[in-house]
Amino acid sequence: MKHLFLAFTAALTIFTSLPAQGVAPVKIGFINSITGKEAQIGENLTNGATMAIDDLKARHIDVEMIREDDGGDPKNALAAYEKLVTRDRVIGVVGPYTSACANVVASRADQYQVPLLVPAAAKEEITMKGYRNVFRLNAPADVYSNVLLKSIAPFRPGTIAYIYAANDFGVSTVKTAQVNAASMGLREVANEKYQQGQPDYRATLAKVKAARPDLVFLVSYDADAILLMRQAKEIGLTPKAFLGAGAGYTTAQFAQLKDISSLVISATQWTDDVNWPGAADFGTRYRARFGKDPSYHAACAYEAVRIMALSALKSRDSKALREALVAGSWNGIMGPVRFASYGGYTNQNNHPMLVQQLQAGRYETVYPAQFSKKKLIYPYRR
Amino acid sequence: MLFFQSLISGILTGGIYALAAMGMSLVFGVMNISNFAHGDLMMLGMYMAYYLFTLLNIDPFLSLVLIMPAAFVFGYAIEKTMINRVIGHPSENQILLTVGLGLIMGNTALLAFTSDPKILTTSYSSSSFNLPGDISVSIPMLLSFLVTCLLTAVLYLFLSTTRTGMALRATSQNREAAQLMGIDVSRMSAIAFGIGTLLAASAGALIAQTYYIDPFAGHTFLLKSFTICVLGGLGSVIGAGVGGIVIGVVEAMSAAYLSSEWKDVVVFVLFLAILLLRPRGLFGRKGEQ
Repeated sequence: MKHLFLAFTAALTIFTSLPAQGVAPVKIGFINSITGKEAQIGENLTNGATMAIDDLKARHIDVEMIREDDGGDPKNALAAYEKLVTRDRVIGVVGPYTSACANVVASRADQYQVPLLVPAAAKEEITMKGYRNVFRLNAPADVYSNVLLKSIAPFRPGTIAYIYAANDFGVSTVKTAQVNAASMGLREVANEKYQQGQPDYRATLAKVKAARPDLVFLVSYDADAILLMRQAKEIGLTPKAFLGAGAGYTTAQFAQLKDISSLVISATQWTDDVNWPGAADFGTRYRARFGKDPSYHAACAYEAVRIMALSALKSRDSKALREALVAGSWNGIMGPVRFASYGGYTNQNNHPMLVQQLQAGRYETVYPAQFSKKKLIYPYRR
Repeated sequence: MLFFQSLISGILTGGIYALAAMGMSLVFGVMNISNFAHGDLMMLGMYMAYYLFTLLNIDPFLSLVLIMPAAFVFGYAIEKTMINRVIGHPSENQILLTVGLGLIMGNTALLAFTSDPKILTTSYSSSSFNLPGDISVSIPMLLSFLVTCLLTAVLYLFLSTTRTGMALRATSQNREAAQLMGIDVSRMSAIAFGIGTLLAASAGALIAQTYYIDPFAGHTFLLKSFTICVLGGLGSVIGAGVGGIVIGVVEAMSAAYLSSEWKDVVVFVLFLAILLLRPRGLFGRKGEQ
């Protein structure tokens, strides 16, 4: 009887443990700025990632995504990555959002040998150091300035002023913009780096106004973009074009404030009116679910999570996942994606950026020609 | 043109800093407590102005009529239920209590209002008028400055002419002596904290029209308020007023003639220089802590 009981218990243990191992969902991590200064944009990434997981579940693909908040702080981002790979045992991580956080986490990915897929951070350095386990979906900062200046080049502007946040994204974007502008023959007449979150930028804007630039090139996260444009209107700063390099100039909230945002030109990684598979449908579903327009951050997070999850599902361990990401190619809402090494970058998707302009309260794609439905309005007028 | 533009912007922004710092200085003067929840009290004023405008369509300036008494009652209640328990106790306890209060307020706001920055946009939010020499003056900032001047004048009259005001000043000068003279210092502390909260919330409501509102928006002004209070002389309401304008102008001039990135460095160098030359601050009395 005792033997029978032991045999029954052993059989029961094996029976109950086997299926659990068999169907255990693959685990991936997701690091994002859920709180902190970048939380508003972070929310877009959260929404995109959530939609990706839900879409996979609808296709009966079970992926467990463990979320971590870095609060926009690189220290927290690194702690989150280390927690995900050592305690949660994820085989791949998507994130973090900001350049500062992503850059720090990227420096440790090779140490832990767990692939990191950066969805939307722009600092070039992230994929320029030859890290084998770091992949980036979005275009880096040099493309922001490159595409913006290319879109405006036919109008032959002569001078440019820079106003940008004193952070990794701002500094690296302007650094490459200066190189691109110089090659276009643009003369730099002002260069103003500012601290985020200040209530008064009027003195800085007055200084830029006195320099009479044709172009004002801005790099700001969410709320600063609104403050700067509002105070630029007060001061009467009217260049021939405001060029917003990403982030704060591409949000739904910015678009709603028509009196300050109208005709601002911005670089974006994604819009829902390009002919990439599922882009329009993603936009429609996002609006229905979250009650607002999706920003490019949402699309980047959606596609990054989808790629990571599908690759992880085939791989089941970090080494195989890295190989799958290196060898794979995808074609979804962000267009064709392939992680390649080119121009000093490693595992970088050569993503074509778009230029959009706020016309009648709507973001309209105006460059490049193959993706645009509207013409760029130049010069700027209030 | 750049000089006068920066000077005007600095004075107008400094006015708001001054209003926020005056509340903190009054609390410190009467209660000898550094209120680390001051920025969060400003944040409450910002949200009150925002929701009164968006839900009830009450102009932010008019909403002050509702915000000020509500903030006073809130501050009075906080003092009676929590702050007065740590008066006279080690400063570590006071710091922990006010930091804790601030954390609770900030995170409650995060749960209630989410982290989305809110922008209060009135019909005159981005409006301005021009002075000769193409100097632009922001209308909401100018109105905020005028309201600040009015509130400062009322506070000055209250402190210098009313019995309660004089009792507050007496408590500020010497708490024990004031108690021996028959002043209810416990009540004075509650009134001072109520007025401090009122001023913080008013500053929040005024800056909300030209700034953005999020659960931690007040933190930007907390450090500035401390700097201004120390610069003007801890406990000196007039010192806080002058200190606010000085900081506002120095920030604007640094942004105009050096770089926006350097303005905090310049402010703190000036701050250290004043403290080296005059350790009790611009308007602090000799022998004060």
